[in-house]
Amino acid sequence: MFKSLGSLVTRSPWIYRLNAGSCNGCDVEMATTALIPRYDVERLGCKYCGSPRHADIVLISGPLTLRVRDKVLRVFDEIPHPKVTVAVGVCPVTGGAFRDSYTCDTALDQYINLDVIVPGCPPRPQAIIEGIAKALEVWKERMEEGACSRS
Amino acid sequence: MSNILEATFALLIFPGGAAALALGLFLKGIDRRVAARLQRRVGPPLIQPALDILKLCTKETLIPTTANEAAFILAPVLGLAGVLVTAALMPIGGVWSGVTGLGDLLLLLYLLPIPAMAFMVAGSASSSPYGALGFSREMAIMFAYEMPLIAAFLACGARAGGVGEAAMSLQTIMNYQYANGPLLFDPVMLPALAAMIIFIPGTMSVGLFDIPEAEPEVIEGPLLEYSGPLLAAFNLMSAVKLVIVLELVVALFWPNPLGSSVIVNLIWHVAKCLILMLVTVTCFRVSTGRLRLEQGFTVFVKYAAPLALVSLGLASILR
Repeated sequence: MFKSLGSLVTRSPWIYRLNAGSCNGCDVEMATTALIPRYDVERLGCKYCGSPRHADIVLISGPLTLRVRDKVLRVFDEIPHPKVTVAVGVCPVTGGAFRDSYTCDTALDQYINLDVIVPGCPPRPQAIIEGIAKALEVWKERMEEGACSRS
Repeated sequence: MSNILEATFALLIFPGGAAALALGLFLKGIDRRVAARLQRRVGPPLIQPALDILKLCTKETLIPTTANEAAFILAPVLGLAGVLVTAALMPIGGVWSGVTGLGDLLLLLYLLPIPAMAFMVAGSASSSPYGALGFSREMAIMFAYEMPLIAAFLACGARAGGVGEAAMSLQTIMNYQYANGPLLFDPVMLPALAAMIIFIPGTMSVGLFDIPEAEPEVIEGPLLEYSGPLLAAFNLMSAVKLVIVLELVVALFWPNPLGSSVIVNLIWHVAKCLILMLVTVTCFRVSTGRLRLEQGFTVFVKYAAPLALVSLGLASILR
């Protein structure tokens, strides 16, 4: 059943921003440039949601500091399947400017499977929107494979 | 037998059930599209609300371990059922007479708060502090907006009723308007109309009155813990609630059909609902911010309710 629904369902991605100890640069790009009227992601059906339980696409920024690690993982668990993760900026992958910091132990992808990576410090709004578009393709593939249940 | 068939048809297909759901989702789509255009954006496609519902139905349903599971699941289901029944009772000028009989306005007064009640039960059952905050805000604002609603009902009834009595029946009010022209153009009823126009965004929680679900403050309040099909039920409930509130105001103030053709009358009815929604919901929500709870309360108690009472007084004196 999910196979034929894939192309329809992916036209309604709801976005949730998860800050894993980011310096706020990527958050500013996400909140005030990529998803405001100028670039209008609502035409793709996107909607920002305040609750992780409503989310489909998770935009994660930041190097996963020790202080927020458990909380980030807990919030990530609250997001219902199927979900797609987009890492915004270089921090979630390598730690970026904070790579040798005593506040971070290891990269985020040791804990969470990152589906799409949008590099940059911070990435341009167009890149973030392209990342969301790529995430939609990943989501569609998952729907077609039927891999929608809790993994 | 034919009565039962007719009632089943009204509940499941038209004007309740499928027709109300379709009209609600259509109005929501127009609302989002026009709001986007007003903000100089392209906006989502018209079928976006339907796509959202479809998407939510394929998602996982998560129930918090601390929540009261029965109430958590039943709240959206009963809320949706309640608004669908209400939609079947709403009259459409020249197409459907709705529930006929004495006191159907009283019945509507009891049915209209069902979505708000579902919200409150959901908020308190979800065991989330934000849900509890949304619950208390919804309850406070409901007490405020019921007042102008009841006063406006009584004003319309007093205008349409005979000497010394108020008609508590929508059918009588509509027949009065078929005979004497719509109450929309009646100067005595203008204050009551203004009160109802303040009531619509209040009950739909948009614009100034986006208090119980305020996203930046209480993270959508009672909806916070909902996911998957249960959230879809809440979205459908809100869409049908929009339809019944608009249809109620249209029936009270401008139910007059265009001619005798049912199709033309139906299109005319949808057009009236659409115009009303664009003014009171879409334009209102893109051009205003949010009030604090006590400020929102004040708007209804201090301005909307007295306006409706002025109409009630005038309608009782000038007959």
